Amino acid sequence: MSTQAAIELIGLNKWYGAFQVLKDINLRVREGERIVVCGPSGSGKSTMIRCINQLEHHQEGDVLIHGEAFGQGPARDDAIRREIGMVFQQFNLFPHLTVLENCTFALIWVKHMPKAEAEALAMSLLERVRIPEQALKYPLQLSGGQQQRVAIARALCMSPKVMLFDEPTSALDPEMISEVLDVMIELAESGMTMIVVTHEMGFARRVADRVIFMDQGEIVEEAPPAEFFTAPRYDRTQLFLSQIL
Amino acid sequence: MSDALIFQPKAGKPAPPSTLGVVGWVRGNLVSSLPNAALTLLGAYIVYAFFSAVIGWAIVDAVWEAQNRRECLDLVGRAGACWPGVKAWIPNLIYGLYPKDQVWRINAGFLVLVLWAVPLFLPWVRSKVMIGLGLVLLYPLLASYFFHGGDKGLVWGALIALGLTGFLWSWLTAIAEARREAPLLEGRRRWILLAGLYAVSLLVVSQWVLDEVQTRLWGGLFLTLVISGFGITVSLPAGILLALGRRSRMPLIAAVSTTFIELFRSVPLITVLFMFNTMLPLFLPAGVEVNRLLRAIVAVCLFSSAYMAEIVRGGLQAIPKGQYEAAAAVGLGFWQSTSLIVLPQALRIMIPSIVGSFIGLFKDTTLVSIIGLFDLLSMARAVGEDTVWLGLFIEPFFFVTMIYFVFCFSMSQYSFHLEARLGAGQRR
Repeated sequence: MSTQAAIELIGLNKWYGAFQVLKDINLRVREGERIVVCGPSGSGKSTMIRCINQLEHHQEGDVLIHGEAFGQGPARDDAIRREIGMVFQQFNLFPHLTVLENCTFALIWVKHMPKAEAEALAMSLLERVRIPEQALKYPLQLSGGQQQRVAIARALCMSPKVMLFDEPTSALDPEMISEVLDVMIELAESGMTMIVVTHEMGFARRVADRVIFMDQGEIVEEAPPAEFFTAPRYDRTQLFLSQIL
Repeated sequence: MSDALIFQPKAGKPAPPSTLGVVGWVRGNLVSSLPNAALTLLGAYIVYAFFSAVIGWAIVDAVWEAQNRRECLDLVGRAGACWPGVKAWIPNLIYGLYPKDQVWRINAGFLVLVLWAVPLFLPWVRSKVMIGLGLVLLYPLLASYFFHGGDKGLVWGALIALGLTGFLWSWLTAIAEARREAPLLEGRRRWILLAGLYAVSLLVVSQWVLDEVQTRLWGGLFLTLVISGFGITVSLPAGILLALGRRSRMPLIAAVSTTFIELFRSVPLITVLFMFNTMLPLFLPAGVEVNRLLRAIVAVCLFSSAYMAEIVRGGLQAIPKGQYEAAAAVGLGFWQSTSLIVLPQALRIMIPSIVGSFIGLFKDTTLVSIIGLFDLLSMARAVGEDTVWLGLFIEPFFFVTMIYFVFCFSMSQYSFHLEARLGAGQRR
């Protein structure tokens, strides 16, 4: 087991105006570790993972990625952010670009990779998420599940060391959830460091190393899934689990 | 579950024939009920009455050959149009008071514009953005000498040569790309070739002498096109920058942009034109003379930029925040995500309003007549003040209306075409 922390949140505090959304968050994620974050809506779980790649800025505390802190100037921050892939609830694909262009875009414009090389890499990742045949279509011509798999391929194109998932299956029709989860399970089994905000408890049981439960901007409880689902320590966790299981 | 029932979807049935094709459309839209049928008949009658009256006046009963207005009136009275007056004035309507023996320069200047734009419509040309940018930035330099002429100093000469280089370079690129010799124009070779082209252009320009035609002689459709052309090409990029400025998180930039936009949007264009025409000289040091046409152009550009800025801001607001976040998450910086992700999407949905603003601008140029410039509309009025055609107002105005219609209608049709072509990602 590696001792280097892939992600480290130290004493994270964040306010929206006067309202505190994150309270003293401390979290250490080792390389290759898979974390599932759950909790009621408004508990701060999305805000927390959006602080990890600084889509949201925190007011107090530190966010360290592989030991390096955010906040050393925009260029350095952009470079750190490139190590982190992110998948959103609403997919957020670029609708004016084809599926293939969505994947090659950052390779060409950020990594300055030659077009042919970028396309070869993108195609290999589209094969990995099992939709190479859709490469030349536009995102809005695909189903929700297909779009989310493209979004995963797009994030993987940048060869991130960490992947963040912000409720990746919450906007999907029931029949499409499993096709996205299958891709995520494969990714987890390949050893990717992942933080997943989700309520898919089956997924949590199968791949998570730790499950984190948040409420009111705090981490209430964290435990391996076996322990978390069978013997939650806090009443709040028990109530939450009794409602979603 | 081997004994489960097997679900077999039904085959689709054809739609009822009465709802399809021309018959279906007529039944559904024109005669779906008795009142609807009556309205259809009434509408058809109004359309017929209007067009038969106009065509009767403008074509059937019109006079085509006459020496003066008296002759027209003797022939048909006021029942038909008197076109000979308009015909005699057509050169003035188009070129204003531009000297007759120099008019070829305007034609040549516009020919160069058209030729320069041709590569933009050739399917095999890949450097369209470069050529388009070159056209917008460098064509005015070249055109300035075609249209104005006269003594060119060192600086102006160098700029004219730059324009000529841009024109030649665009075509060289287009030809190279047609013959797939693009590598010819890459790396160090490109710079050597460009420098050579510029040297040749300098030589050509230094030998090129045209008489000066002062801008007070410019007029008619030509002047309208010059002013609106400047307004259109300046207002879009300036509007984009102002809109980004207004949304900026830096308070100083946001305040300056907002002040500019609100100032110019809160006053009528006439006021702005008057300000620039009569008050600007008071602020400038004595002896500094700014050309009247230039003042009008600057006023129109500033005014339309302010309007464009608000259109662009509206378009930017329609782009979901997730697009910025997704762009940031894959490592794009602000300028990259703005210019490559957000603006292309925003501009597409803004096309109707942008073109609407361009059309408005084109028509608003008629206001420059109040500061003494003779645009198309003022030239039309001048026809009826000509002693030979005294009182002939309706026909020239009708003619000018048609010209405005042709230009504005083509702009709007082109915008539909653009929308359809750029809509690729939105089609399911």
